[in-house]
Amino acid sequence: MGNISVKLFGKNLHNPVFNASGTLGYGVEIEPLWGVETLGAYVTKGLSIKPHHGNLTPRVWEERYGMINSIGLQNVGVERFFDTYFPFFKKKKTPVIVNFFGFTEDEYIACAGKIKPDRLIIALEMNLSCPNIKAGGISFGKEPRMVFDIVKKVKAVTKIPLFAKLTPEVRNIVDIATAACEAGADGLTLINTMPAAGFDAKKRNIPLKGGLSGPVLKPIALRAVHECSKVVPVPVVGVGGIMDAMDAVSFFMAGARAIQIGTATFIDPYAIPKIIKGVSNYLDANGYKKIDDIIGIAHEK
Amino acid sequence: MDDIEGKIISNKKIAQGHYLLRIRLSRSMGMVRPGQFVMMKIPGGEVFLRRPFSIYDYQQGILTVMYKVVGKGTEQLSKAPKGTPVLTLGPLGRWFTVSDSAIPIVVAGGIGFAGVSALAKILQGKASIFFGCSALDEVSLLKGAMHFHPFIATLDGSCGFKGNVIQLLKKHLKGWKGKNVEIFACGPENMVKSLKKLIEPYKIPCQVLLEERMACGLGLCFGCVKKTTDAQEPYKRVCKEGPVFDLWEISL
Repeated sequence: MGNISVKLFGKNLHNPVFNASGTLGYGVEIEPLWGVETLGAYVTKGLSIKPHHGNLTPRVWEERYGMINSIGLQNVGVERFFDTYFPFFKKKKTPVIVNFFGFTEDEYIACAGKIKPDRLIIALEMNLSCPNIKAGGISFGKEPRMVFDIVKKVKAVTKIPLFAKLTPEVRNIVDIATAACEAGADGLTLINTMPAAGFDAKKRNIPLKGGLSGPVLKPIALRAVHECSKVVPVPVVGVGGIMDAMDAVSFFMAGARAIQIGTATFIDPYAIPKIIKGVSNYLDANGYKKIDDIIGIAHEK
Repeated sequence: MDDIEGKIISNKKIAQGHYLLRIRLSRSMGMVRPGQFVMMKIPGGEVFLRRPFSIYDYQQGILTVMYKVVGKGTEQLSKAPKGTPVLTLGPLGRWFTVSDSAIPIVVAGGIGFAGVSALAKILQGKASIFFGCSALDEVSLLKGAMHFHPFIATLDGSCGFKGNVIQLLKKHLKGWKGKNVEIFACGPENMVKSLKKLIEPYKIPCQVLLEERMACGLGLCFGCVKKTTDAQEPYKRVCKEGPVFDLWEISL
């Protein structure tokens, strides 16, 4: 069996496949089908300092090769997550990456500061796609300067390694990635969903605007991973439209140290275990001994 | 509960725009309870996400689903011939719970009958069944429950009471005064709203099966929520905390 374990921030993960934030609930929901310990790490639903109720329905909308979601970051809040759900991951010894967000700098800082270091917490992952309500609603991740400022402030309040999760809706994602790293981000998650709108032909209206995900996003994500991983000194986690093991392999070759699976789980609830197995099989079939042997090979020449 | 392959045995039109689909599953779904649903899709088709369908009936490895064509997914399904492979994830969700002490009353509007038919069957004639639809053609949805002598309302009066099912229910309300009754309902949102309004003064216990657009069906995405009276976390997932809810905990 091809060795697919990876090292991230000095910790060994038995595989490089995670769920994308918000696509595996609080983790417990998938238990009837497979255990969260299957994952290289569990990425939490986006958490905030206070609970969020989320948006009205419709919250999901189907597109031809993807979907649009407008959940509105519904979550129980960082405190209740650690009281109610974290013990489950402790019991299962499953590494956790804590995704979090805020609508002001203070909310990001308060939330990050609230998360105590723990052997099982591999990293924090800050969602930079949120609107900054004190800056007229422009997303934190839009401009290199804004990214630099918020990442620096969050880094100052936590000792846990920090991933910056970037939005693809920017002029030049390499500039954003560079700014995040200069501010001290320990890794990058590329990319978040793409802002989009659904259309209801029957009702002749736009039922929701939200984030586009699924296979339609894959080439955009792959480009971001390829371009950023070439220039940044930190690990890149690839996410966006990965549906099968070959998609996953393409992200590793483009430079991703790990990947996340989101929408694919809604199409096939076993997508994650299948991809983990498929990546290992790919290594075997192509004479690679370990995942490190393929990471970034598309950078050469 | 698991993701199970199946093959279509029959996909019969039973009324204008309504179909009864029978699927032979490759293995057992396990215990199925009334009100539960499956997430289903035809692999390789034009449809991206699975669609939720109430389990109309399940026995001896054969899953029956009654559905109405409402969009792209159900339209594609309505054209699927015998032998078409399908993927069914289920059984999913919280089900109707029946107490021995209360007299059960089943209220369904149109294709909402698909959600309560398994319950009506389990109650074996102990329940009074109220069914409303637009016209005579749709009354054929009730075929499997005719021997339970349902009360029928049609909007055009072509069969039974002329009016909607809640108006029909209202006429029987007096007879239940002082009795221990419980209502089990499924139907369009307007029906559920008028039902709530009608029985509010009497605080009759009522379980209601709700629907919403879904992506995963497993509680993973939080896409299919309904607002409830829970102040701490008002939005509950139809696929996980539902689809059967206590009517008095739902904000309509």
